Parts: sequence; structure tokens; C-alpha cells
Amino acid sequence: MPHPSDLMPLSAYLTVSALMFAIGALGVLIRRNPLIIFMSIELMLNAVNLSFVAFSTFLDSADGQMFVFIVLTVAAAEVVVGLAIIVSIFRTRRNIDVDDMNVLRG
Amino acid sequence: MIAVQISFFVLAVATIASSIGVIAFKNAVYSALSLILTLLFLAMFYLQLGAMFIAIVQILIYAGAIMVLFLFVVTMLAPDQADETRDRIPWQRVVGIILGIVLVGALSILIFSGNNPSLIATHAQSGSLSHAVATTGNVEAFGNALFHGFLFPFEVTSLLIVIAILGALVFGRRA
Repeated sequence: MPHPSDLMPLSAYLTVSALMFAIGALGVLIRRNPLIIFMSIELMLNAVNLSFVAFSTFLDSADGQMFVFIVLTVAAAEVVVGLAIIVSIFRTRRNIDVDDMNVLRG
Repeated sequence: MIAVQISFFVLAVATIASSIGVIAFKNAVYSALSLILTLLFLAMFYLQLGAMFIAIVQILIYAGAIMVLFLFVVTMLAPDQADETRDRIPWQRVVGIILGIVLVGALSILIFSGNNPSLIATHAQSGSLSHAVATTGNVEAFGNALFHGFLFPFEVTSLLIVIAILGALVFGRRA
């Protein structure tokens, strides 16, 4: 089996990763549903993961895959705490528009 | 090997399309399903890059566990948040789109203007990833690298997970 770096250039993977990251950042900027903002953050984390795996393969080192593993764990923890915050915001005030959340009290 | 290139471009178009779907759908359930699709396509990218373990973990943890949690919360909170029509800060969408285009431009300048050295100089030497994969196996190479070089970060993630569980318990308590 030939090495993947012999078939596709690294910049192809990085381009897909950059486009995904930009779409995620755009989602954070223009959407006002906090759940979709969270999904956009996941999109950005996954774009970075793709470039980590691509660099890991192209540098022929396992370090990039370790970073992906750590990012995966951090993403899981972030989703758990973030969704808990969103649910508890939804309990106290019945709408979840981020533009309405401009006071630091319940 | 034209097949790899064709599959790369099909995967790239599908990934970008489904990630645009995440931010474009009005209904948050459709966004979550589109995100699951994006994560599955990314797992195929990882398979193409030879990272088998990461691909399987991506499907199991991301597309399985995390997105089930997302869909659970989305369907729990769905009925009241259908109106995203009224916009309190109307200029923020235009500014967001402009900033997104600026980000794409900056990232593509970074990718295509830098000198791109042939990174793969150390092909299949001992100590490299492809050598370890060829001699021991994919998951074994991953585990060796994780527990020999990254043991301390691996242990710290367990602390992080405990903190996340405690945080979810504190927020989930009916105060």
C-alpha cells in the first residue's frame, strides 16, 4: 500500500481543513441559537483535528494523532459542560437566543 | 492511483457541503444530523490518511456519544426556539460574513504562500510512524506512542473528565 503522501499533496488536506474552520467560525458569528453555535465550535475542532492527522501522516510521526486524542477528550468535556449550561439557562428563562443573554445573573 | 484522488475530491466536496449544512439549516435537528454526516466523512479522511484508530474513535465517540447528547438536548429544547426571525443586532450577519471571507483569505494565503518543503524525508525509517505501523500494527503503534511519550497528558485528561462530570452534576441539579 503506497503512503498517502505520495498520492495527495498536504495542501489539499489543509485546504479542506481551512474551509471547514472558516465555516465553523462563520456559524459562530452569524447564528444566534447557542446549540448551533456549539455545533460550529465542534466543526472548528474537527477541522483542526483533520489538519493534525494530515500533518501526522505527512511528517510520519504519531504525535499529531496524540493531539487529536486529547482534543477529542477536551471536546467531550466541553460539550457536557456547555450543554448543561444551556439546559440550565433554558430552565430559568424560556428562550435561548444568545443576544438576549447579556446579564451575568440568573 | 487516480482512485485515491477521486475519492479525496468526492469526500472534500461532501464534507464542505455538509458542514455548510450545519450552519445553514433553520432547524437545529437538521444541523445536528448534518454535523453527524460531516464527522463520518472526516472519519473517512482519517482512514485515507492511515489513522485507523482515530477514525474508529471518531465514529464511536463523536458521531456516537457526543452527537447523541447533542440531539437529546436539541429535541428537549426544540419547541420554543423556532423563531430566529427577529434580529436585534441586524448588522452582525453582514459583518460575520465579511469576517468569514477574510478568514478564508488569510488561511489560504498561509497555506499557499509558505514554502512547502517535502515533509516526508524520513520515509519508513526506524522510529517513524509508518515503520511502527508496518512492524507492530496500527493500534499498537498508537498505543506505544501514547503510553511512552504522552502518558502525563493522558492522565491529565482523566482529571478533566472528572471535572466535567462534576460540572454537569452541579448544573443539572434542580436548584
